[in-house]
Amino acid sequence: MTSLSRRAFVTAAMASLLVSCGGHGTDSTAPEHPGSAPVPSRTSAKAAHGLGRSVPVGLRIPAIGVDTPVMQLGLAADGSVQVPPITAHDRAGWYRNSPTPGQTGPSVILGHVTVGTYGDGVFRRLAQLRKGDRIVARLENGRTAEFTVDAVRTVAKADFPSDEVYGDVDRPELRLITCGGARTGTGYLDNVIVFAALSSATP
Amino acid sequence: MRRTVLSTMALACTAVLASTVPAFASGASPVPTVHPTATAAPSQAPAGSATPSAAPSAVPTTRPASGTPSAVPSVGTPTRAPSPAQVAVVPKGAPDTGVTPTASKSGGQGGLIGGGAAAAFVMGGAAVFVVRRRRATGE
Repeated sequence: MTSLSRRAFVTAAMASLLVSCGGHGTDSTAPEHPGSAPVPSRTSAKAAHGLGRSVPVGLRIPAIGVDTPVMQLGLAADGSVQVPPITAHDRAGWYRNSPTPGQTGPSVILGHVTVGTYGDGVFRRLAQLRKGDRIVARLENGRTAEFTVDAVRTVAKADFPSDEVYGDVDRPELRLITCGGARTGTGYLDNVIVFAALSSATP
Repeated sequence: MRRTVLSTMALACTAVLASTVPAFASGASPVPTVHPTATAAPSQAPAGSATPSAAPSAVPTTRPASGTPSAVPSVGTPTRAPSPAQVAVVPKGAPDTGVTPTASKSGGQGGLIGGGAAAAFVMGGAAVFVVRRRRATGE
């Protein structure tokens, strides 16, 4: 009789073990983003205000370890701004209807905070930037435009401040945009926006 | 006889619990969802043109293009001064710059499965213990 109860116990234990081995979650990996090959760009540089027109080809933000190539973005079919593709090593993208970095006006660069199953995006730590941090944009003509962070804001997507982001300004400025805040389904409720102003330029 | 019945019941309870727990695992579908708006736009287009490549005419807040002849018909009223805007075409809405990792949901499912397995194990052990107790004190 003792052997019977022992057998029952062993059977229960085995069943539990089998069940616990059966289910396993897929781990989400968070790949790093080393700076990779630069993006070729064909643009005719036109003389304009400030530094002059030259499209950005790279972006470096030392405070949060970002060093990424920069691609060009236009508009999507619904009139919203395009975003960089969802890839393992995503990159930042410059909105080509905005001034180039160093020109008078708000130059807009976007990047992902997360890229789905690929893990973190290139701007995953953008919200950690603080006033005074440096942002360096590498331009196609070989020059660099260095910006200093003025403000970092997290705003609800429903109340996206288009005027503050895209509106005219009287000096060369930079806007870095990504997502943030609470997650909802496959997206986020908020946007993180970094406002920066040109502090210096190197030839 | 009584012992046999109790033992059988313990086994049956454990088996039922064990068979229900994997149902949690089958519910998860870790299909990566990629936003359709994530279109690759390598820098092939000449940046000198201020017209958008995707939707040239349906943008509601179109402003006069700076530095280029107005190839885009002005749909909306200019919101600023008559001078050319620095951002030629203001995008609509907020940028969608984040796709959440769907795999993170699997972590919660894994916890559920583990908890269920532990509960099944504990209940099975308790049933066996009761059977042994009754056997020792009873008949």
